[in-house]
This record gives sequence, C-alpha cells and structure tokens, in this order.
Amino acid sequence: MSALTAAAPGAPVVDLDLAELRDDPYPAYAELRRTAPLAWVPSVGRHLLTRYEDIVHAEKLPEVFSSREKGSLLLRTVGPNLLREDDPEHRRLRAAAEPPTRPRQVRDLWAGAFERNAHALLDRIAGRGEADLIGDFAEPLAAANLAVVLGLRNASADDISDWSRAMMAANGNYADDPDIWLRAEGATRAIEEAVAEMAETARREPDGSVISSMVHAAEPVTLAEIQNNIKVIIGGGVNEPRDVFGVGAQALLRRPAVLDRVRADPGLWKRVFEETARWISPIGMYPRQLTQDYEIAGVGLPAGSRVALVIASGNRDESVFERADEFDIDRPQRPHLAFGGGPHFCMGAWVARHEVSALAWPLVFSRLKGLRLAEGAEDCTEGWVFRGLTSLNVTWQTS
Amino acid sequence: MPIVIFELPDGTQRKVTAGSGTVLMQAAVSNGVDGIVAECGGNASCATCHVYVDERHGELVGPPNDVEDEMLDFTAAERRPTSRLSCQVQVSDALDGLVVHIPEEQV
Repeated sequence: MSALTAAAPGAPVVDLDLAELRDDPYPAYAELRRTAPLAWVPSVGRHLLTRYEDIVHAEKLPEVFSSREKGSLLLRTVGPNLLREDDPEHRRLRAAAEPPTRPRQVRDLWAGAFERNAHALLDRIAGRGEADLIGDFAEPLAAANLAVVLGLRNASADDISDWSRAMMAANGNYADDPDIWLRAEGATRAIEEAVAEMAETARREPDGSVISSMVHAAEPVTLAEIQNNIKVIIGGGVNEPRDVFGVGAQALLRRPAVLDRVRADPGLWKRVFEETARWISPIGMYPRQLTQDYEIAGVGLPAGSRVALVIASGNRDESVFERADEFDIDRPQRPHLAFGGGPHFCMGAWVARHEVSALAWPLVFSRLKGLRLAEGAEDCTEGWVFRGLTSLNVTWQTS
Repeated sequence: MPIVIFELPDGTQRKVTAGSGTVLMQAAVSNGVDGIVAECGGNASCATCHVYVDERHGELVGPPNDVEDEMLDFTAAERRPTSRLSCQVQVSDALDGLVVHIPEEQV
C-alpha cells in the first residue's frame, strides 16, 4: 500500500491556513462539519474527518483505518512504536506497557509520589504570590510524575521536559528544519541510554513501572522496542496532563461560581476533568491511513488515502453536545473523544485523571489562597494538533 | 446462535442475536444498543461497557477476570456483585436467553 498524498476523487478540497488553525481551529472545524465533513486540506496533506459519528465509526474500524501511516514524522523521530502499529503487533506492545497505567496501580503505586511531587513544586512557589502555573507547576509536575510511572529514576523532571519538547518539535517538523532533527536525535539518544540502564536494573529488581512491566512481559519485548515506546510516551505524556490542567484551571478562574461549587463538592473535579478534555482536547487530531477502498461521510476513499481523525472537532459536534462551544460541567454526560477510541484508547487516561483531577487541581486551589488570573494576562491558548496554554500567569495572597 | 437480552435503565428490553465466539459488548454495539459505550473497543481499558448480569444468570456467566475486576472498581455507575464488563463476557450457546441490565451511566 502506498500513501496517497493527494485528494481522493470526489473529496471536497478546502484550504485552511495553518497559522489560523494554530490560533483557533474551532470556527474552521464548525464550517467543515456543516459543509464538508470529509475534506482534503492541502496544507495538512490529509483528509480531515470532523463529525463525531464518523470519527467514532473510523476509530472502531482499525482494520480499515490503519495506524501504520507511511512516512509519518513520528516514525522518523522515534522509530517503530505502538502508536503507529495495528493489532496484533500493537496489542503485544500495549499489553506489555499498560499494567502500570491501570487505575488500581495508579492509586496503589503512584498516587503517593504524585502528591509529593505536587507539594514539592507548590512549596517552591507558594511564598512568591505569583507564578506561571504552566512553566512553574503543570509541566514539571507532569514530567516528574511521568518519570515515576515509567521507572526513569535516572532522569530529572527537566530532562523529561526537554526530551519531550525536542521530540514534539520534530513530530511537527513539516518544514524539515535540520536543527530540530538534531535536537530530537540528541533527546532520543539520551532516552535510549536512560532506558537501557533502568531496564537492566528492572530485570534484577522489578518495580512495577512501565519499563519493568515491559522487561518482564509475558510476550517478549526487545530493548529497542522498550526504548522506542518510552520515547512515544515521553513525547505525549508531558503535554497532555499539562494542557488539561492549564485549560481547566483557567476555565475555573474565569468562572468563580463554578469554582465555588467545585470547592464545596470535590466530587465535581471529575466532571471538570472530562468537560475540559472535551472542550479543548489536548490532542486535536491523529492520522490514519486506509488499507482498502472505503466510503465515509459520503466520499469514496481509495486504499492508501490519508485521513486525520479530528477529535477536537468531534468534541464540538452540536449534534452530540448542545452549545458545544461552551464550557459546562453540568452538560449531560456523553462520551467525548479526547482519549481516542478503539484499541488505541489513551493509555495514560487513568494516570492523567488521577494526577490532574484528584491531585493537582484540588491542591493548587486549596494551597494558593485567593488564586486569580494575573492582571492583564493574555490568553495564551494555541495549537491544533496539540492544544493548550503556553502560560497561565496567576497571583495569590501570601500572608 | 444465542439470543441475549439487554435491559435498558428505563426497563425496555432489546433482544439481539449474539455471534458465538464474540463477546457480549460486540453484540450490543453491532446492534446499536444504547448505553454500551465501549470506548476502548473491547480491551478492558476504559470501563464503559459495564453491565449487571441478571441475578438468575450469575453462575452461567461467571466472575470477572483479574484485569476486569480492577476496572470494575472505576465504573461510572456503582459496582455490584453482578457487575461485569461486557467486552470480557464470551458469548456461547450456553448464554441463550441471558438477561443483562445496562446501568444509568458509563462515563
């Protein structure tokens, strides 16, 4: 199967400006859902699939909508990995890596360390009365927690953050900037070394971490496979919890009445989490490639066609979510698409739910008294493949 | 092929034919039974295909497996002794006439 890098016959062609998408993709998605729910977008080089029902349909048909996309930048950055595999290969790797991310393990093995990490970061900023909650808290917290779950005791939170940034830049390096490739190669080499060292340790002393789980998997996994998959998890595992934290915190700071309710009833944090992930999904879209001719959204796509499942758009589909552009924790519970669906359902879902909604938000809002958005702070939400806040400047009372 | 009955929270029943060798979740999803979400497509990762096996049929269906048992602690609707994830229930001819109840919420 070769990759078709042009519009399928009969597919509407819609020009979208990448800078506008990065700024705010939602108006463009609304228009696509209304007029061209499957459209070839030349600047993206893929067909964008934007309606909820069509996305769910595609997610449940991995044998047609394959994850093995040819020529993906992710493959170039980290090498073969479970995100770009289908079953049974995907299943073998996922089964090896997943156990430490299951909810009971999160609660029993990792929750204590997550809480200590959060307190340590808050201790550093508490006396200052002002901070950027993304750079000073959410990102280092996500990185430190990730090091714990992965079993990278030989890496600092700063290492994890730097590696993640370098690889994420390469995954979006459509301009083929050689410096970006160089930085990513430095990061992936460093990860390979760190993983090799901890895999050796875990072989002797299992510790319940992802590396340890992969080393001791029932169906054998090679060191190279462990290394590549840890790279992928580091790539996504920092920005996703960071971004859902930032977007949700900002949403509450702008809605004091909702914040008051949540503080009075901590059971609502869970709803804040799911609604935040729906409203501004940290991952906006992901690619698939057709293994066979297939008709979807009224367009016959030939085998090899590239499709992007735009879950950020599905999560704003008015036919499923009333007033979909509004942040509303009281909306009827309908499954959102932020974690993807089918066999690739987000492996970090339970980790993120716990670290953000059970720990990070409640701790920040209880420890930083009178927390508010900094005077004149601009809204720094950006991105469309990945979307979140680049900074969240806040102040609080220190006395 | 066995016929299984999904009872919705409002009491209405959906009778569907389930293919032997598949799982209960697939029978629900492929017949458009409301209330079975199955976000992860049957991998016991998401806990959104939760059902209560009718008390008359508990022994027929049996207990949850280890991975499923853990996930059942994190379902949106309360866990009961009869709780199963429908993606982990293998369909066989022995299940003909099985009744399962769909909880109020899955997410």
